[in-house]
Amino acid sequence: MMNSLYHFPRLTAGIAALCLILCAIVFGTVVGETALPLVTVGQTLANHLWHAGYQVDRIEAGIIWSYRLPRALVAGACGAGLSLTGVVLQALLRNPLADPYLMGLSAGASTGAVLVSVAGLGGGLVTMSAGALCGALSAFGVVAVLAHAVSGGSGGGRAAQAASAIILAGIAGSQMFNALTAFIIARSANAEQSRSIMFWLMGNMSGVRWNDVGPCVVVSLVGTALCLWHRRGLDAFSFGADSAASLGVNVRALRGILITITAIMVGVLVSKVGAIGFVGLVIPHAMRFLVGPRHTKLVPAAAVGGAVFLILADVISRIIVPGQVLPIGVITALVGAPAFAIILIRGARR
Amino acid sequence: MNVEIRTLNARVHRVPLLHDISFSVNRGECLGLVGPNGSGKSTLLRCLAGLHPLQSGSIMLDGVPLGTMRAQTRARKIALVEQHSDTSERLSVRDTIELGRTPFLLPLRGWSPDDDRQVERALEAVDLQGFDHRLWHTLSGGERQRAHIARALAQTPELLLLDEPTNHLDIHHQLGLLNLLGALPITRVIALHDLNQALRCDKLAVIDHGRLVGFGQPAEVLDEGCLRQVFGVEASHETGRDGALRLHFHRAL
Repeated sequence: MMNSLYHFPRLTAGIAALCLILCAIVFGTVVGETALPLVTVGQTLANHLWHAGYQVDRIEAGIIWSYRLPRALVAGACGAGLSLTGVVLQALLRNPLADPYLMGLSAGASTGAVLVSVAGLGGGLVTMSAGALCGALSAFGVVAVLAHAVSGGSGGGRAAQAASAIILAGIAGSQMFNALTAFIIARSANAEQSRSIMFWLMGNMSGVRWNDVGPCVVVSLVGTALCLWHRRGLDAFSFGADSAASLGVNVRALRGILITITAIMVGVLVSKVGAIGFVGLVIPHAMRFLVGPRHTKLVPAAAVGGAVFLILADVISRIIVPGQVLPIGVITALVGAPAFAIILIRGARR
Repeated sequence: MNVEIRTLNARVHRVPLLHDISFSVNRGECLGLVGPNGSGKSTLLRCLAGLHPLQSGSIMLDGVPLGTMRAQTRARKIALVEQHSDTSERLSVRDTIELGRTPFLLPLRGWSPDDDRQVERALEAVDLQGFDHRLWHTLSGGERQRAHIARALAQTPELLLLDEPTNHLDIHHQLGLLNLLGALPITRVIALHDLNQALRCDKLAVIDHGRLVGFGQPAEVLDEGCLRQVFGVEASHETGRDGALRLHFHRAL
């Protein structure tokens, strides 16, 4: 077909993907404002994993184990998860511009998380992740209703109009939830809280520690497994929902399951690292170009590509301005905004 | 597969569109659905495919109510070729036809040599060998239509539903497709606009304003009165040199 990766043997591809992720994690651990030798990283990991007893500088070991490694793991998990949400939304909505950030899901999740953490909604019984999940689901509902109203219920018949409607509805939804978040912060947060929340809202990995690794990795792995389980259902949507139904897909059930998974992934990941944009847009398109549109290959490729991309974006955010750590969302937006423009132009030409 | 429709009523956006439709198709027969634009042919096909809910009535497939079948079971028996179906994905012809095997693939069951065989047969049936690696957006309208039909054939259905399948096809491929469909040993229901093509079917059902106004042998159903009242044309029957009946259209009324 178009390129050799279409027919890359499955086992070789799996091993290569695993090596790529491991290399990215090691790179994310070695590179930073203070460059640390690879040997030190290896010895620190050996000390913690197998009690190897190497002599390592305590400060360097602390940077590697407590700061950079969890950060690289969370970046990888978030990249994989956000990329998969893009794959699922683009397939189910048959819209190449569908992405949790552009569709306002991330903004909704942020509002939910801020409502819980700052305004104290739920009286301490509700976690930030649960708040973010409710926010993401609410945002999806708002955007779906708005898009239906804007497109006049055109469905798949007028694809270009439906695609524009989703984006317009996403912009409106994002603005509404962002305004709501700003209102909550202005009403309930003090100056210090406001500053840190605004920084977090742009996508920020600075506060990531080991206790954030578990939820992010679990939600991304489970999301990948469920997307792979439903890979043929996602393929069947290539020609629309009716076509999928005629191929034996229970369209309503599949949409319900996968949109819930998407909302859970967005909710958990946004509650940990804020609203990181464009990963769900850029990576699925890049991976479709490499491995083709069939989800048997696209799902794992998008997960691996997203993981590597966000780990590298995190490294760049730490070293691009000496003495300062930029929000990771700035880096992803610098890559994603031009990619968004290219996809728009290609769509218009087609 | 024997198909029996009993007093079927259906709505679209709360507007009643099909009224008290009843007929049956025997195993292996080819039924043509004809009628003016908006008469309800596509909706009836969607009902037969299990994609559109019935307001009342029933559809029986070999005596089993269609409504009681699971989506996957239904898709192993019925294939639908829609009138408008397109994708923006960079799918190849082979990718598209392989989608037809979806009802037979379970999450943990991989692609088998039998799936490959069915895909090859479908490619061959629509004369698309050599096109299997062509990307969808590089195909002509006719090639896309043939790929859709191949995807439906890859489902190895017992009932094949086609919504105006000869649209976008040149005359060579129109005749080739009709010959192919005519030779299939399965039950076929085909919505057609070309009444001369419809004459080749075993039976015809004429739908007008959502009602069945004629059903039976094509030559008997498409008489001059029906053509005048339902289609608004003045026409007469002619017998060609090959002995086949043809319609000669004189003018629109």
